Amino acid sequence: MVKATLLKAEVRESVGSRHAALIRRQGRIPAIVYGHKQEPVAVSLDAHNFVEELHHGRRLMDIQIGRKKEKMIVKDLQYDYLGKEIIHADLMRVSVTEKIRVTVPVELKGTAQGTHEGGIVELHSDRVEIECKATDIPEALVVSVKDLGVGDIVHAGDIGLPEGVRLVGSPETILVTCHLVAAAKSTEEVEAEEPAAPEVIREQKKAEEETVEEQ
Amino acid sequence: MATMPKRVKYRKSQRGKMKGNASRSNFVAFGDYGLQALETSWITAKNIEAGRVAATHFLHREGKVYLRIFPHKPVSSKPLETRMGKGKGEPEFWVARVRPGQICFEVGGVSEEVAKQALVRVAHKMPIRCRFVRRRHSL
Repeated sequence: MVKATLLKAEVRESVGSRHAALIRRQGRIPAIVYGHKQEPVAVSLDAHNFVEELHHGRRLMDIQIGRKKEKMIVKDLQYDYLGKEIIHADLMRVSVTEKIRVTVPVELKGTAQGTHEGGIVELHSDRVEIECKATDIPEALVVSVKDLGVGDIVHAGDIGLPEGVRLVGSPETILVTCHLVAAAKSTEEVEAEEPAAPEVIREQKKAEEETVEEQ
Repeated sequence: MATMPKRVKYRKSQRGKMKGNASRSNFVAFGDYGLQALETSWITAKNIEAGRVAATHFLHREGKVYLRIFPHKPVSSKPLETRMGKGKGEPEFWVARVRPGQICFEVGGVSEEVAKQALVRVAHKMPIRCRFVRRRHSL
């Protein structure tokens, strides 16, 4: 279970990319608060405190807007083009009793048996959507791949979920596979597959039209 | 002859501009680690192929290499000692347009140390500065 922490948010009077950039320069992160059928509110959070909370794996936070204190979860994050800095956050109002849908990351644990037989472990989906109480959101779902041999597959339904957590979506979703790697193609093989020059779509159409006219 | 599209609408293209940063393909999506471009450039099909060969050769069939860029753009040039005019030259090679932030290569199924060594070898084949990045677990 993740503890909720208190963060102070300031309401943003002016919105738009220019004002958001100004807020970022002041060491704050622009965010939006929504949920519980209330009007969305544009706020800003202290970047240092917010990022620190995220680094500790906390998604449930107590956010104080003015004098009002509300429980919120971090629903979405936007990063800059290099993926280094958080440029915007989505916060959703939640109550402790209600069940919410969230995506949690999948973490692999152990070394697969198949890797000793020349196979590789491939993670097809790094997150799973679950439904649980806001206070019960797990940091990550750990999948043990110790017994995974070559050709074995782990489906979403195979993961052991904590109590009070329900899987949303198909249990048949493939999460992890272990398979042999096909021999890498040499440059000559790649070249042999490629045509000398690409086919031009317009020329092909013209040729077809001409043949139709001739007939 | 390196990689190129199988079908195109037009044989030749204008040079174009590459303004701004990558707004998509800017996070590791398939493998566990990636090589991110830090500069704007045309990356030729030869560069991409050299990078692929360097990574696959280093990994010895251990991991999987993913190519995230493809040379879609034809570049034409005039033959040597030709007078100007008489129309645009013939397509000579193909390039991928890369902007800062674009993930060019990805590696999966190996440890971070091995992936780093493989992607450093790839980076040496690239005409631009690149950096090593990890997969980000999104919310």
